[in-house]
Amino acid sequence: MIESLFVLSSTGKVIIEKHWHELIPRRIVDYFNEQVSKAMAAGEDVTREDVLPIISSPKYQLVNIYRDGLTYLSPVTKEVDPMMVFEFLHRIHDIIQEYFGSVSETIIKENFVTVYQLLEEMMDDGFPLTTEPNALKEIVPAPTMLNKVINTMGATTSVSTRKMPHGMSNLPWRKAGVKYNSNEIFFDIIEEIDAIVDSTGKAVSCEAHGTIQTNSRLSGMPDLTLTFVNPRLVDDCSFHPSVRFNKWDSDKVLSFVPPDGQFRLMSYRVNLSSQQNLPVQVKPSINVGANGAKFDITVSLRNTDGKALENVVLTLPLHKSTTTLTAQCNVGQYMFDPVGKVLRWDIGKIVPRERAPVISGSFGFGAAGSDAAANAGYNIGVEFLINSHSLSGLKVDVLKLFNESYKPYKGVRTMTKAGRYQVRA
Amino acid sequence: MSDAKFFQRGKIQELRIELNSDKKDRNYIRKKATLKKIVANMTMGNDMSSLYPDVIACMAIPVLEVKKMVYLFLINYSKAKPDMALDAINTFRRDVEDPNPLIRALAIRTMGYIHVDKVTTYLIQPLRHCMRDQDPYVRKTAAVCVAKLFMQDRHLVENAGFIDLLREMLVDSNPSVVANAIAALTEISERSDHIQLKLNMSIASKLVTALNECSEWGQTYILESLMFVVPQEPGDAEMLAERIAPRLQHANSAVVLTAVKVIVYLMNYMTKDEDIANMCKKLSPPLVTLLSSGPEVQYVGLRNILLVIQKHPDILKNDIKIFFCKYNDPIYVKMAKLEIMFRLASEHNVEQVLSELKEYATEVDVDFVRKAVRSIGRLAVKIESTAQKCVEALLELIQTKVNYVVQESIVVIKDIFRKYPNQYESIIGVLCENLDNLDEPEAKAAMIWIIGQYADRIENSDELLDDFLYTFLEETVEVQLALLTATVKLFIKRPTAGQDLVPKVLKWATEEVDNPDLRDRGYIYWRLLSTDVAAAKAVVLSEKPHISTETDNMDPVLLEELLLHIASLSAIYHKAPTTFIPHCKPRFLIPSPVLRRQNYGTGRGTMIHQDSYDHLYGNDNNNGGGSNRDGLDELATSPKQPHHQRLSYMEQSFDQVAEASIGNQEYYEQKINAENPYRTDTTTASATKGGVDLMSFDL
Repeated sequence: MIESLFVLSSTGKVIIEKHWHELIPRRIVDYFNEQVSKAMAAGEDVTREDVLPIISSPKYQLVNIYRDGLTYLSPVTKEVDPMMVFEFLHRIHDIIQEYFGSVSETIIKENFVTVYQLLEEMMDDGFPLTTEPNALKEIVPAPTMLNKVINTMGATTSVSTRKMPHGMSNLPWRKAGVKYNSNEIFFDIIEEIDAIVDSTGKAVSCEAHGTIQTNSRLSGMPDLTLTFVNPRLVDDCSFHPSVRFNKWDSDKVLSFVPPDGQFRLMSYRVNLSSQQNLPVQVKPSINVGANGAKFDITVSLRNTDGKALENVVLTLPLHKSTTTLTAQCNVGQYMFDPVGKVLRWDIGKIVPRERAPVISGSFGFGAAGSDAAANAGYNIGVEFLINSHSLSGLKVDVLKLFNESYKPYKGVRTMTKAGRYQVRA
Repeated sequence: MSDAKFFQRGKIQELRIELNSDKKDRNYIRKKATLKKIVANMTMGNDMSSLYPDVIACMAIPVLEVKKMVYLFLINYSKAKPDMALDAINTFRRDVEDPNPLIRALAIRTMGYIHVDKVTTYLIQPLRHCMRDQDPYVRKTAAVCVAKLFMQDRHLVENAGFIDLLREMLVDSNPSVVANAIAALTEISERSDHIQLKLNMSIASKLVTALNECSEWGQTYILESLMFVVPQEPGDAEMLAERIAPRLQHANSAVVLTAVKVIVYLMNYMTKDEDIANMCKKLSPPLVTLLSSGPEVQYVGLRNILLVIQKHPDILKNDIKIFFCKYNDPIYVKMAKLEIMFRLASEHNVEQVLSELKEYATEVDVDFVRKAVRSIGRLAVKIESTAQKCVEALLELIQTKVNYVVQESIVVIKDIFRKYPNQYESIIGVLCENLDNLDEPEAKAAMIWIIGQYADRIENSDELLDDFLYTFLEETVEVQLALLTATVKLFIKRPTAGQDLVPKVLKWATEEVDNPDLRDRGYIYWRLLSTDVAAAKAVVLSEKPHISTETDNMDPVLLEELLLHIASLSAIYHKAPTTFIPHCKPRFLIPSPVLRRQNYGTGRGTMIHQDSYDHLYGNDNNNGGGSNRDGLDELATSPKQPHHQRLSYMEQSFDQVAEASIGNQEYYEQKINAENPYRTDTTTASATKGGVDLMSFDL
């Protein structure tokens, strides 16, 4: 089980420290910081993200995650399930985010009493306890405007008037007594493409992951049934705990009582045919010589159902010995970061049947004749999004509401975007 | 209202005055603010313990937020102030009777954290009461509290009937209570010498029913506990696995991986092969899904996948593409992926794999590039049909002249030569162009091995060796050994070319070097060459045993043990938990009528099978025995392997592993070395040295 938690600032200072069993001395944090800097000193390309999520020390196994500049560190001594520790640490981060809008050292310090209360509720004796945001908000009030006013006015809610948390009902994710003047629910179907594409435009590997992000603002205890036109398109799904699994298994419908607010209803893998057409084609050509290289990259649309590609950004990490870069592009703007050695080309929007964006130029290596530089491979990271488009073609059919009499407003949006999408040059 | 201001270092005295102030404090606003300051200071590591009495005085304030802060304070400082902790007891006792279940739960939870004997004494009665509280929130908190109490006082928990109470809770109407009770029982069982959790099918079935309704964490506890079910009837394991399978689609990756663990475990108790094949099909998609999560989850997933596919090669065999590396994957993810790609490589996908590996060899991260190059070589050894292409790829890489790529390539090319003798010698010329840049012992040793092995085909092999010999005394032992053997090979194959070198090397090896291996090997060669050159030839140039990548496989006994620990730390390190976690109970497959015979490779299955149980049984005894694991009796009566025999097996298997990982140490030479009849201590060694005339074998 999880024994202790340290939240560390980007400089490795302890911001939050919590022990559920024995007190683990802070020395362990020093050890951890040393290991991190040692790992990062191993090579110029090693970043904080490359540090192992589990580091061995003589006495403890240091399970850690790194998010938004903060390190969540949990030293463990027993044969624990690190996956559970990771999930729990992620959950802490997400909950802090949910409560305070964003996560940073300052935000945690400004709200540390709430954070401590949250930790107290989220874990007991190393067992994760309540981690559903809805249930937590019942027990530990979020710092809303109203709460602040109540606090300063001195109108404390006394113990006797507090209601029992609904964490123990059979619907731990939903609180009772939710009330809205206008009832509405929104579904965002977002599909992300992870792909590795070779320089000829052929996908070496390609998968797409979909999620249905939901924002529910419905009163009472609504019981919803969401049906799709083509549920068979999705494969290997995982669901929010509210979804009745058996219903999906037998009828391929999503039947659930939603939590209040934002939540991820479902995530799934999209069945891609082996010859799936990707929405964009990036054609790079990089000719490397001893002292530098000439390059040009063309981007063209493919198979987007006539939709435009938006927020298109290409990044080309260059070899560390690169010192100079000159380029021209017909669309958008490019920027060369001489410190991070990255070329970033911000294309913006690509509309079908307009001329294809092209960038061409050259870059030079400082230390001439370096074999490693001359032989290094290049990869281009691609970002884009397509509104009102889903790669899989998944479509919502109807949403039915039971158990409540009102007629909610229902909204569905779809979007396809690049996940980890890269092109090899 | 920001809390940051509370972080100012407060003076204890000021805080005390504030806390005890008589000023009108409507709704305890002032007290709350002061307590916040105290808690803030506490978290900064400032010692606030002297405020203990003043804080306890606030316990009676009926405001939840205040109570929580007071309790936080108590948990932190009670150990330091055990006497004063007693003052809090009355309030605790009142709070556990409070009409508000939240307060009852909070009080019982806090008391459990205060590791002070007297407080613990006062905890027993209320805890028992809370375990039967009408409110499930209190019950589930109480269940965890028993586990806490166990950490402090094992005997108390074992003797005061708490275990029975927990057992009763397993049939509680509320699934969260069930989950926490089973979590507490599992935790206690893992740490106790006397209590061993064992679930029968009917309890297991009830737990699985609760599984569908409890929180994600509760699900992991229940799933984990199912590792303590030993199916006895045909169909039991199948039924359980079938009912657990929906958990594979949970959004929480800890739930998914624990479900994988239980199913892989249950597969050991399935009687029909088709059921196992069916389950394997269900396991692939959720494992793939793990890889779309964050890097940490991916990493854990990958390390576990590496275990699972060694036992069930059908899982993921068609999904190799998802293990292809993205350039911005963290290094540790790339390394883990590469390992799996190699395992999944087969005749069908080898082209793709090779082209990926070639791609990786051009990346910037040195460790990753090395591993990619090495994998190309291993691929050639693993799959014969692709060897030619792999060699071509390696040659291309050598042409890049990137130093570490060249060295790594040479190391693996040696393996390829060893596996496919007399096929690729044409490339030796290319290798020889790169001699000057070799600075890593492994690469040097590999190159020297190649020169020695093909001494008769490389025209200037004597010159090449002579160049290496120039720095003989500064080299590492690995390189020295290689040089010694290569020189002797040269001499046997081309006596005239080697005759100047051999005496020099033998003299160095036996007189100038401190390493006993090197010295011994030197003496053996010396003797062999001086007494019977034909015998020397037979020994030194004997045919090498075949190498294969099969030997890379994990020791089957270890693999079996690690599979019982999927998702845990040992499954990430690939080390048995007992080797790095103190007081860890070993796990093993408990025999039952439906337990499948474990297949530990050809030819040696039976012995190891018995051996492993024997071994584990011994461990179990050490742990105090008294456990109620049925079925072990039967093993205890079966003839045990004597201890030394077990050891010899272990050694043997380690030898094989070592041999595999080194790949191609001179196996025969080592063996002879081990049986060296001339093995002598230093003093007699020098005597022998004196007795052999260096010139006597100058042919």
